[in-house]
Amino acid sequence: MSASSGVLHAVSRRWRHTDRSAWVWILAVLVLAFLVLNPLVRLLVVSFQEGETGSFTLANYLAAYGRSRYVEALGNSLTLGFWAATLCLLFGVPMAWALSRTDMPGKGLVWLSILGTFIIPPYLGAVGWILLAGPNAGWLNRMVVALTGVDSGPFNIYSMTGLVLVVACYSFPYVFVFTKSALDLVSSEMEDAASILGASTMRTTLSITLPLVLPAILGAFILVFLEAIALFGSPALLALPGRFHVVTTQLWQFFEFPPRVGVAAAYAMPLLGITILLFWLQRRITSRKGYVALTGKGGERRPIRLGFWKWPLLGYCLAVCTLSFYMPMVVICQAAFAKAWGRGFTLDNFTLNNLYFTLFENNLTRNATINTFLYAGAASVIAVTLALCVAYIVNRQLVGRHTGNILSFLTMAPFVIPGIVLAIGFYAAYTRPPFMLYGTAWILILAFATRFLPIAYANSNAAIRSINPELEDAVRILGGSRFTAITRVLIPLLKRSLAGAFILVFIPATRELSTAIFLYSINTQVLSVLLFDKSDEGNFEMLAAIGLLLVIITISLILIGFRFMGRDFMLRRTPG
Amino acid sequence: MKHRSIRIALAAATVVLGVAAAPVQAQQMPPWEAQLYEAAKKEKEFTVYTAHYSTEEASRLCTAFETRYPGVKCNFVRTTAQVAFQRLQQDLMAKVAVASVFSSTDVSHYPALKKKGQLMMYRPHNLDKVVDSLKQYSDPEGYYTVTAAALMLITYNTELVPQAEAPKNWPDLLNPKWKDKVSIGHPAFSGYVGTWVVLMQKLYGWDYFEKLEKNSPQIGRSVNDTVTMLNAKERWVAAGPEATTLMSRDKGNPLGVVYPTDGSLLMVSPSGIPANAPAPNAAKLYVEFMLDKEAAEVQVKSHSLSVIKGIKAAPGTKPLEDIKVVRPTEEEITVGIPEVKVKFRDTFGI
Repeated sequence: MSASSGVLHAVSRRWRHTDRSAWVWILAVLVLAFLVLNPLVRLLVVSFQEGETGSFTLANYLAAYGRSRYVEALGNSLTLGFWAATLCLLFGVPMAWALSRTDMPGKGLVWLSILGTFIIPPYLGAVGWILLAGPNAGWLNRMVVALTGVDSGPFNIYSMTGLVLVVACYSFPYVFVFTKSALDLVSSEMEDAASILGASTMRTTLSITLPLVLPAILGAFILVFLEAIALFGSPALLALPGRFHVVTTQLWQFFEFPPRVGVAAAYAMPLLGITILLFWLQRRITSRKGYVALTGKGGERRPIRLGFWKWPLLGYCLAVCTLSFYMPMVVICQAAFAKAWGRGFTLDNFTLNNLYFTLFENNLTRNATINTFLYAGAASVIAVTLALCVAYIVNRQLVGRHTGNILSFLTMAPFVIPGIVLAIGFYAAYTRPPFMLYGTAWILILAFATRFLPIAYANSNAAIRSINPELEDAVRILGGSRFTAITRVLIPLLKRSLAGAFILVFIPATRELSTAIFLYSINTQVLSVLLFDKSDEGNFEMLAAIGLLLVIITISLILIGFRFMGRDFMLRRTPG
Repeated sequence: MKHRSIRIALAAATVVLGVAAAPVQAQQMPPWEAQLYEAAKKEKEFTVYTAHYSTEEASRLCTAFETRYPGVKCNFVRTTAQVAFQRLQQDLMAKVAVASVFSSTDVSHYPALKKKGQLMMYRPHNLDKVVDSLKQYSDPEGYYTVTAAALMLITYNTELVPQAEAPKNWPDLLNPKWKDKVSIGHPAFSGYVGTWVVLMQKLYGWDYFEKLEKNSPQIGRSVNDTVTMLNAKERWVAAGPEATTLMSRDKGNPLGVVYPTDGSLLMVSPSGIPANAPAPNAAKLYVEFMLDKEAAEVQVKSHSLSVIKGIKAAPGTKPLEDIKVVRPTEEEITVGIPEVKVKFRDTFGI
């Protein structure tokens, strides 16, 4: 209540003074309320409701935390989130630094591999990893046995360690992109200052460069942490056979017949609490320091000469990509082109039929492919636009500090809600008048946009933070409106960050499963749902063929996009 | 467009060859069928929520239906039993009627829907054609009818396990030689596995699972996950589904099935017509169609069992009459599944 009146008050005050773009902010706030607040409030209400009658009860909370197994699952999720996010930093930050600041060779190859990694649905990657590191027959284990003659291989993917590795493999691209886009904006002059004072490259990097991009790294850490605890596919594949539960697999059980939506909602509440806590921490750490790196005063960016060390660094980058991209893709390609993948690599086992059937004979796949990319595209546009608006409102303090905090929280909140729960919230909110969206494409597009809004926001936020308001002030002083300042100065400066944000939403939207599965209807099928259904049919050849198709089309679309934006987009250093 | 031209070509071919699958002329149909067909044509299309088949099989069944009844379009949403049920509930709550036929593999869904008055009563004319031993599983009041049947049995990887050494009955899976080599599904995810756990408990007591635990079985979700685990050679033997395993074997995967001497588990899956079905006549026609020859032949090709009499089993599949089958009573299943889910979690920790 006070939040929205605060918004209105602040906005109306601005309205009286010169700012003619205020309607944009009002609209952004309304859309945010529609997409995030309404489903969240529904979720909260449902958690206190008795299933049949709708009367007030606390029974849902008692049921959700009444068993030690349920509480243990919560603990497992936190462990998973923490270690996966930490591993993501170890993978992503050095690669971002290497690609952004150094003269390491093979940047294009590394970058393409990271893109490929990001496109593989985590679920598909997990299947690949089962074949690589299954304790009995995993290729890696068999290799170790063959080479050393030991009885059994050392790797077991069905463990917390295995799950952490797989989750980190498919989440580190977030860290990479966030860190890199922030590093791209740090000028060499700041590093020069340290070098002149006698600091080594290593010391400069650790004490100047990385601290400057700390907000981006922290934002990415939080995002990856939240992503890790909200995933369903990989834990279902790896944690269950490993004999442990995480929050999402536990939530699934609350949806068993008869579904207990109230209990599920109650069980999801601590996740919201954790999100609030993380944001508070992030603010504590970064609020008192300045991170403005891009000013109107130019600034040069030179690659750091690594000498011999560029080779180990390249080796590291390629090693990570091998874990996340090359090895799983070999497995998936083998299955996609196999008559029977259990027979392994032989020439007479090779066939194009799986791909042919998927592409040409199956109407479902064709429609689902079109839907997937259409919805992902629409969702990305909505998410990026909205995120940019909110980031701008908050950073330029167009609303009060508290309102700003609330807006920021609302924008980030969807990420922590497991997709299944978000879908239920959406379902509860938008299947009754005045918003009848169930069965239409819009409910999927809006759910995707909401689900990945935090990614778009974290990206836009980091980008806007790094731009000195002086640049816009110059326009305003010279008589330009805020609108002019945004369209003529801010957007051009942010163009690459925005394109990055678009891709960061587009890719996960193409592979999003957990919301889609509850919201799709007969005419709105998407590829992720088809993949999921295949997983349950034991038909791994088709699953791999559809997965491969998804990866190939997404990579092509993005490469075409780059061509369109300029060939060396995201690879070139920003001209000052 | 392409789809339609294929269908026309198919129809033409069948006419030329004089195959029985040609569209039946309305006047050749018995009056009740002609009447339903006329009414269904006015409804134009209908949607089936099904957990009974794989996507390919569901698609083949719809195509066969459309060939027999031109002018009535058959749509399907193929998913798992729990998701199908969840969707139906969502639709009902949102007052959006989508499904005209609901086909779940979890038999406990039907009494629940019936109790709430969410199913339409319909006694199919083709009920007489159903195999006698399966007749008992349809609702005596006619709110749901068995339209699919399949087996759950012992499966193994033939490259790792010679036929002679494969388990012969369910307790053989407890032999210590299969330690770290058994694969099963989870009763909370799969209706098949839930029914199987109820059956094992009935036959051998919960002790069966205490002992199985000592063999550290790999626990997947769906019963079909066992097929993946055997193909990957991650596991050697499994309690798996007959149909999916044999379909995968047909492609050339090294898989084999054993019909346990103490009985293969018979899975029967009913279909019902939701009370709010947007196309009730097409739905009735579809249920009739499922109890007729064409549908049975499509199912048999995918190694499912025929629910009607007089259909030959596919090559490589044992005919039903030669197999010893067992099945807990409907009450044992409905009461037992929630109970064994809890026990299963206590024993296996997940």
